[in-house]
Parts: sequence; structure tokens; C-alpha cells
Amino acid sequence: MANEAAVEADGLVKTYRSRSATVEAVRGVDLRVESGEVFGFLGPNGAGKSTTVRMLTTLLSITDGSARVAGVDVAGKPDAVRRRIGVALQEAGLDPRQTGRELLVLQGRLFSLSESEARARAVELLELVELTEAADRPIKGYSGGMKRRLDLASALVHEPEVLFLDEPTTGLDPASRVTVWDEVRRINERGTTVFLTTQYLEEVDQLCDRLAIIDDGRIVREGTPERLKAELRQRLDVAAEVTLDDVFLDATGRTRTHVAGEVQEVTR
Amino acid sequence: MTYSLVLARRAIREGIRTPEAIVPTLFIPLFFLVVNVGQAARIFPGSSTEFLHGQGYGAFQLPSSLLLAASFGSAALFLVEEIEGGYFDKLRATPVPRSSIVLGRLIAEGTKALLIASLIVLLGLVFGITIASGVLGFALLVLLTALWAVVYSGFMQIIALKTRSAAATNSAGLVFFPLLFLTPNFVPRNLLTRPMEIAATINPVTYVMEALRSLILVDLRWETILLGFLVVAVAGAIMLIVSVRVVSSYD
Repeated sequence: MANEAAVEADGLVKTYRSRSATVEAVRGVDLRVESGEVFGFLGPNGAGKSTTVRMLTTLLSITDGSARVAGVDVAGKPDAVRRRIGVALQEAGLDPRQTGRELLVLQGRLFSLSESEARARAVELLELVELTEAADRPIKGYSGGMKRRLDLASALVHEPEVLFLDEPTTGLDPASRVTVWDEVRRINERGTTVFLTTQYLEEVDQLCDRLAIIDDGRIVREGTPERLKAELRQRLDVAAEVTLDDVFLDATGRTRTHVAGEVQEVTR
Repeated sequence: MTYSLVLARRAIREGIRTPEAIVPTLFIPLFFLVVNVGQAARIFPGSSTEFLHGQGYGAFQLPSSLLLAASFGSAALFLVEEIEGGYFDKLRATPVPRSSIVLGRLIAEGTKALLIASLIVLLGLVFGITIASGVLGFALLVLLTALWAVVYSGFMQIIALKTRSAAATNSAGLVFFPLLFLTPNFVPRNLLTRPMEIAATINPVTYVMEALRSLILVDLRWETILLGFLVVAVAGAIMLIVSVRVVSSYD
């Protein structure tokens, strides 16, 4: 019997209807992420990345199609899915009036840990994300990087099977970004499947075993970084090194305008 | 229920850390109590006004202040802040019952209202108001006020969930505000003009106000008291059903 996928989507569709218009944000996404993978989910702004993640994490209703996460049907058993996943969304969703420790203890309690278990888990996680010293300070005083790390820690409280990270390093300085990458690697080494959306191709190169590129609500490329690069090199019949940037631009139909060696804009 | 209590504890902590959100809840109702009594006390002297049952006009006005305090809940605005900041999604991504997400803040709001109502009544006692129904009446008075605060905050939370905007929640809250004044606010219902009497009779808040007033001015008049609690129970049930439905279908 084949291994059960960590994430499986079949014809996933999300349509927003208003009085004036109907917008198809996701137009039939098929995905399969194997257990233990770090899977990169790339796309330009507004391509449908976050909408897809929100559907997979039970935060958004599915208009059509189906999805299973950690072997559980997302629409049919959302609570069972929630027990198996960790979620760190694009904007670090934290309560600024609580301290880091309080937030993690609360998160543990919401995942059915006892008060003492939740406290012990909070200590472990604070050490993991190097926030022990700041643990009892209000979150509103944390830097962007600290908030991201705390958000990551809060997504790990219940040791999820699948961790969804929606643009976890957006807005971070390079040092904080590398710290988050290290955390993601460490989490993955412990057996957690990571589903990572990002706009940073370097991030995908650094972290991901496989990736999919979504554009205009549809998957336009899927495979390992190496395979996608090799495919493009072969198709373009070039000897020079092809980067993930090139794969991305080719897949999304965008071009770069170089002026005096600087990338000036990305347009269709 | 455990999850609701865990979330309530957090909301209480949040309230304690935001005293600026609590001060107006206490100050404005007391301000209106003083102003209304100052304006009308000479028109309705306690010694010759039958509906005051021998007390001063402040005793008649106290329920209005309690209901006003109950309508100053901050749960909805904290919720909007949480929606805008992304923490609400974090809570929705946990496997807790959707009702707990609603109830957590409301339990905290009820606790806060119990304290504030107790404080307002105790201040009233200091200024000569007596609770005709005794200690049990005092307990029922603050309990009914706190339960109404929960119901009112619950409806405000529904508006917050639907609009996801602090400005819209504030504005929509004003729609509920006239309900507090289409009541026998200054005189008993039978002394109101006919159109106002009809409006007050239709308005459910009237029955909560009358229950509170009967606890202060007359002894335990169970018929009036139970009607007040029944109104709160029915409004509370409607609020909970709608709230859970709105949270469950929140996209």
C-alpha cells in the first residue's frame, strides 16, 4: 500500500461571490505532499497561495474539490485536521497584550494539554526559538523576528504532523531569516512535514525538497528544484546555469527588465 | 467548558492590562446617574412620589445606570483588534469548539460586569439608596446586570465578526443604543405618553429595567424578576445560536 500523503488536494476551487463580481481565487489545484517533505509553494502576489493554505488549514471554506491533510478530510472533519496541523500565517497572529510564555501556555491548553504540561512545553519551545529571556515580556515589545519565532513556536505546541508556514520570513532581516530557516530544518528533521509558502526563491532553494508554482489560481509547475531547472535548461536549450528565478519567471510568464545590471521590474 | 474558561482567563488578563477600556464603563453611568438625579430629583420628591416607594429619585435611576454600564463592553472591539492582527485565525485554527471562542470573551465580560455593577450599587448605597429586596436582591441585581452585559456584548461581537472593522462595530453599536432609552427610563411605564408606552412595552430592555427596579424599590416581586431573567435568557439563546453560526461560517 502506498504511503498516505501529508497533504492531498484534488481540484481545489475557491470562488468569492459579491453582488458586483465573482472572483475565482483558486481554480482547481491538485497537490500531493509526501510525509516528511519540506514542500515549497510559490507564486506571485495574488496568485492564490494564501487562499490555498487557508483552505487546507480549515480557515476558509472550499468551494469545490476536496483536500485531505494528515489523512483527514478537511471539509468533513475540520477539528481532526486542526489537531494534526500547526499553522503560522503570513502576519504573525499573536496577542500583543500577553507575554510569550502566556501565549504558548494558552496555545497548549487549547490543544488539550494540562496546565503543567502546557507550562513545560512552553519552556521547551521558548528554548527552541531562543526566546527564554524575553518569555515574560509583553509581545507588543518584541521585534519582528522575535514575533515570527514565537508564532512558529506556537504552531508547534502540540507537535503537529504537518506544519503550514505562510511566508514565514516576509519582512525579516537576513539574520532573522536564517534563524527561521534553521528552525524549519530542525522541525523537519524531527519528522514534521512542512508546507511553506514563500515569495523568496532562495528560501525554496535552501529548504525545499519539492515545490509547486501557482499562478492565477492554477498550478503551473511542480517538481524538485533540480528537475524544474533541468527541464527549463533542456527546453530553452541553453548551456548556462538556470536558476529558480528563471523557472519562476518562465512559469508565470513574467520577464525581467535589466537596467545597468539592476532588476528594475517584473512585468507580464 | 474548559476551553471557554481558559479563553475567559486570557480575556480577563487582557482587561486588567487595559484599564483605560474599563474606566469609562464605570465613569459614564455614574455621570448620568448624577446628572439625571440632579435634573429630576426635585420634580419627583421621595416623600410624595408613589412610584419611588419612599426612596429618593436616585434609586429609580440606578437601573438605567446599571444597564448603561452593561452596554459598555469592550469584547467586540478587542475581537476586531484580534481579527485585524491575525490572532483570531490562530484561535480558529485550534480544535476548540467554536462556541468556546465566542463564550471565552463573554464570560470575561460577565465577570467584569459583575464587578462594575457591584461597585455602582455599593456607591449607590453610600449615597443613601437601599436595596429593598435585601442581600438576595443585591445578588440578583448584579447577576441580572452582568447577564445583560453578556447578551449585549454578544450581539456586539456578532457585528464585529460580520463587519471586521472597529469603526463599523462602533457605529453599529449605536443602533442598539436607543433601546436603552425607549424604556421607562425617567418615569414608570404607566406615566409615559401613549406612543412611548407602546415602544417601551415592545422593547425587551424595559423588562430587564423593571426587574432591576423592582429589586431596588420593592421587595422580591418574583413575577417581575423572572420576566427580566426570561428576556435575558431568550435574548442570550438567540445571541449564542447566531454567534456560533457566524463563527462557524466565518471565511
